[in-house]
Amino acid sequence: MTRQLAPHPSAKPKRPPGPAAKIPHRRWTARNRRDFFVFLAMALPNLVLIAVFTYRPLISNMYYSTLDWTLGSPTATVVGLANYATFFTSNDAPKVLGTTAVFTVVTVGGSMLLGLLVAVALNGKIRGTTFARSAVFAPYVLSGVGVGLVWLFIFDPGYGVLAWLLRGIGQQSPQWINDPQLSLVMVILVYVWKNLGYCAVVYLAGLQSLPKDVMEAASLDGANGFRRFLSISLPLLSPTTFFLLITTMLSSLQAFDLIRIMTPLGTGTSTLIYEAYLQAFGAYNRAGYSAAISVVLFAILLVITVLQLRFVERKVHYS
Amino acid sequence: MALHLDRRHFLGLAGATASAAALAACGGPSTTGGGQATSQAADIDFSGVKPAAKIDFWSSHPGQSQDVEKSLIDKFHAQNPDITVNLVTAGANYEEIAQKFQTAQAAKSGLPGVVVLSDVWWFRYYTNGSIIPVDSLTKQLDMKMDDFQKSLVDDYKYDGKQWALPYGRSTPLFYYNKDHFAAAGLPDRAPKTWDEFGEWAPKLKASSGAQYAYIYPALAGYAGWTLQNMLWGWGGGWSNEWDITCDSTESVAALQWAQDSIYKDKWAGVSSKEAADDFSAGLTSTTISSTGSLLGILKSAKFNVGVGFLPGGPKAQSNVCPTGGAGLGIPSGITKEEQLAAGTFLKFITQPESTAEFSAATGYMPTRKSADMTAVLAKTPQIKTAMDQLAVTKVQDNARVFLPGADQEMAKAAAKILTQQGDVKSSMTDLKSTLQGIYDRDVKPKLKA
Repeated sequence: MTRQLAPHPSAKPKRPPGPAAKIPHRRWTARNRRDFFVFLAMALPNLVLIAVFTYRPLISNMYYSTLDWTLGSPTATVVGLANYATFFTSNDAPKVLGTTAVFTVVTVGGSMLLGLLVAVALNGKIRGTTFARSAVFAPYVLSGVGVGLVWLFIFDPGYGVLAWLLRGIGQQSPQWINDPQLSLVMVILVYVWKNLGYCAVVYLAGLQSLPKDVMEAASLDGANGFRRFLSISLPLLSPTTFFLLITTMLSSLQAFDLIRIMTPLGTGTSTLIYEAYLQAFGAYNRAGYSAAISVVLFAILLVITVLQLRFVERKVHYS
Repeated sequence: MALHLDRRHFLGLAGATASAAALAACGGPSTTGGGQATSQAADIDFSGVKPAAKIDFWSSHPGQSQDVEKSLIDKFHAQNPDITVNLVTAGANYEEIAQKFQTAQAAKSGLPGVVVLSDVWWFRYYTNGSIIPVDSLTKQLDMKMDDFQKSLVDDYKYDGKQWALPYGRSTPLFYYNKDHFAAAGLPDRAPKTWDEFGEWAPKLKASSGAQYAYIYPALAGYAGWTLQNMLWGWGGGWSNEWDITCDSTESVAALQWAQDSIYKDKWAGVSSKEAADDFSAGLTSTTISSTGSLLGILKSAKFNVGVGFLPGGPKAQSNVCPTGGAGLGIPSGITKEEQLAAGTFLKFITQPESTAEFSAATGYMPTRKSADMTAVLAKTPQIKTAMDQLAVTKVQDNARVFLPGADQEMAKAAAKILTQQGDVKSSMTDLKSTLQGIYDRDVKPKLKA
């Protein structure tokens, strides 16, 4: 960043050496100054926005996490790291972190795997692929609230569509909404359905940009379709896979709307972000504790991002 | 030169960071006072104060009351042309409205003049100092406090002061499908006890064709509220004063009976979303739901609807019905002018004519003894049952209404027992330790000695 800020050496007008050429070190040329003001004019609004709406809340939140503060109360007590200690020593940590891990791994794995399969299917020259591509991508752009409400109606064990279908074959509907474990399954299913279109479209773009000559060469060497996919397409798709892994993992860890709409109490579906919400804005009003959970989530996101950038990216093939 | 600019840039950044930190320190709570937050003695002398010209009324429209609230506000405007009341939909239920209210408290802006607060929320607003006692307003505005139904207005008394006034107040009611009862050869009344219903249920299920004879209210709704009926009937409860008793032999027996009705006897189920909707859709022959659902059920059900008192249990046959629902409070964080305008509106909306109109539109109980209900009862005679049941209600268990988050914890424990067939005793032991933790941490330090 500082490099961009500093006027580039080449921008400095060349002067002949000698005493006459000595200029005060701090003086800016008109050009430098103009460049700097242009830079400020371009960057400052963004910097201010990021400072006010990202860094400020981040820092405030870290401060709140050291308080015993009931939301809505004008006063609070400083308790240091007690909120973190409570979180990690109570039942909350294994439960919440476990739910978060299951939700993230299954939704990321599920939407990427299914997305890849769908992309491969849509990559072929079959009739109706344009329509199919739009259909697969459509759920991704729908509002999570709307999707949640509709699927809640489908899953309703009393008079939902699914219960009706099951009754048709003489089966009782599972208690999707009341049973905490099934609630998690339900939310994961809907989340994967909603997001696999995104993975499919990104994979499709990746597949279509693969070099055709390599494929042809492999065919001539006698590799069958599956072999070509496994040994050529998949490794060549690794930048796409890497990109999707980061983006879908970050968005899974921050998934909120579906969970809020489909399981308002968070029974069985309390991931880190939802637990933070419930603790502060649900019934408990423990704002300090909630802030501590948010900081834990922040730390996890940071670590994942750094690890992926440092280690996973090295294994990525860029064609 | 480049070096210099770098340093300057660094200084600039450092300055920005420092001001961000300073900004951060501005928001949020004050920690200088240390310790607990209890309601300070707010300045509540309103003599010589002129009411504000405009206030907001935050409501969740309990019992689909948006239209009747609008009509009441129009009437208020006709009588008080100097005060404009702006009706705001501040949430779809009591929890959402509480969330918005708590957030506005933290943001210290955008507070309403009057806010709907439920049985489980007003006490928290009191301990946070978010609402003012309304005593001086009721005195100055000459409100007849002894005309309120005593049990309903007393719910909001604490520390010798009145912290809210009753508004959309309800009790649970036993709803039954009269057609199903007739087909099963059962008497046209609600069962007197759960044991009696246990005898009726198999016949009911066999002849009605409905999926369940009885459906337990949705756990994500207010399971902790309606289950008090069974707990009390068996001689148990969530708590006795501040003693958590949800793991007592009696409480466990009550919930064991409930679990058996689902898994052993197989005539009961648990609603996924809203028992009142399941009932009016014909999914079940009976249920328990709020009186606030009455008008909605009567409108949507395509069969004859019967209502009755809640059934008793083996230990207690009467006084096994909790009261519930919402009251109205006035925030402490607004000007005195706004508080006075809010008080004026509070007086209007709780007066006998208003509560009768509200009751007629929703099924909630009239909160005034002198409310003229003859026209209402002529049209909806079932409201009479709800009004009569008021005489045999019981004050809710402290654990449910005064412990933050207790209702949600009760719902989770109930889910374990009623939908996962979890062991009743161990679920209740777990619940007890959770509730005890909430009490020790969040409530005990704030109680007046």
